[in-house]
Amino acid sequence: MEKIVLWSLLSVGIFASSSTLENDCLSCHMMQKIPNDLIYRRYLMTYSTKENVEDAIIKYLKNPQKVNSIMPPQFFLKFPIKKLQNIEDQRRKENVKAYIEKFDVQKRLILEENSH
Amino acid sequence: MLQSEKRSLVRFLVIYLTSTLLLFSLASWIFYTATKHQIIDQQRTALKYEADHIISKLRLLHNSNEKKLIYPRSKSIDSAIYDTDKKYIFGSYSDEQSLQKGKETDMLYFIKKVEPYYLGAAYLRTSKKLERAPIEKLQKSIGFFMLVAGALFLVLGYYLGRLFVAPMRESLEKMNHFIQDTTHELNTPISTILTNIEMIETFGKHKESSSELKRIEIASKTLSRIYDDLTYLNLNHHYHRQVVTVNMVALIQERVAYFSAMSGAKNLNVILKLEENFTLEIDKNDALRVVDNLISNAIKYNKQNGLLEISLSKESLIVRDTGIGISAEDLKYIMQRFKRANKSEGGFGIGLHIVSQVCENYQFEFEIKSILHEGTEVHIRWKK
Repeated sequence: MEKIVLWSLLSVGIFASSSTLENDCLSCHMMQKIPNDLIYRRYLMTYSTKENVEDAIIKYLKNPQKVNSIMPPQFFLKFPIKKLQNIEDQRRKENVKAYIEKFDVQKRLILEENSH
Repeated sequence: MLQSEKRSLVRFLVIYLTSTLLLFSLASWIFYTATKHQIIDQQRTALKYEADHIISKLRLLHNSNEKKLIYPRSKSIDSAIYDTDKKYIFGSYSDEQSLQKGKETDMLYFIKKVEPYYLGAAYLRTSKKLERAPIEKLQKSIGFFMLVAGALFLVLGYYLGRLFVAPMRESLEKMNHFIQDTTHELNTPISTILTNIEMIETFGKHKESSSELKRIEIASKTLSRIYDDLTYLNLNHHYHRQVVTVNMVALIQERVAYFSAMSGAKNLNVILKLEENFTLEIDKNDALRVVDNLISNAIKYNKQNGLLEISLSKESLIVRDTGIGISAEDLKYIMQRFKRANKSEGGFGIGLHIVSQVCENYQFEFEIKSILHEGTEVHIRWKK
């Protein structure tokens, strides 16, 4: 019984974070056709761990400037620097977590049946 | 082949083969270790190639838009990727493995840093089971080589040994021939002297010069015994023994009488404790050589007015004297051929060697107890 309650709470939490991410971030990204997947991979390639990626993105979101981003200068020619969002730190953090969860490339890894 | 020649050859072969074996073992061990490392390095290189291959695949996967990213996998090599915190990300192992190398001795590991961190991977760990077949093949080859080399060196050592002992063999043969010739030439004059002494004693013509005749008799009998010993030694290998029942009491009494001139000259107190009618199954010449040598030694090395005691029983023959004795050091080698503890008296040092050989042939126990300057006690225990 306790497990069911815990899972329910967790699912509700994820769903809630996911919908906040949609509203706070992805809706705009969709309109501007910002490649979310590509950005996440670039961060992952630079910081390796999800914790480091999370910290780096939060750092950028708190102070959105070119120097705080790892994206190349050409990226900003096509996609202008976003304005600072006036949201709570906790909410920002949850959004970033949900972002990482959504675009986690490692989850897509599978083992090939036939080996070479 | 002579006993001493055989002994020298065996000693040479043991030293030669042991040193050669040691040298070859050391060389083989060095070769084995180096080649084994080379085999392991070759297998480790395969791990390095696989790691490079996986990294190139990770790069492709990192940029792929496919929904499913197929992790590269090999038949014999397992791998896994880890982030900068060394936390497991993904791999082909059946369970999550830590980045550290395992402690299994039959596994090979290779850890490579990944840069940039494709798919977040900072480390790549590859491992495979060590293939023992090439190492076992190497062990077999070295074993076979050692076997062939050992056989080859055994044959070579044998011929070399024969070559080295050849001068010794020649010297021994020369000495044997010399003894053979000498004994042959001694026989006639000794027999002539002893026969003539007996004739003089029989016909009573010795009254005026009896002491001189006694000395001649002693010297002649000593010579005669030496002749018998040398002949016995020379014929020892070809001599056909005739084992008969020998009355040892009669034999000892006869030989004591034979040496009476010698014992009389030293004024020895001869005590005989002989068990009546004791007989032994032995070749008569062998029994004679044993008794003659023990009695003559006990007389020769005795002191003036000393004691000579001969005890014969069903268990043993004991000859005891109160002579010059043998030192503990000399006692170790006294039974060897041509070995003499005291050179003050005549002789070739073959008496006790003959006694020891006879005892060995009949499996008698032969023991000498002696205290320097006090006397010697020789024990021969008959086999049970």
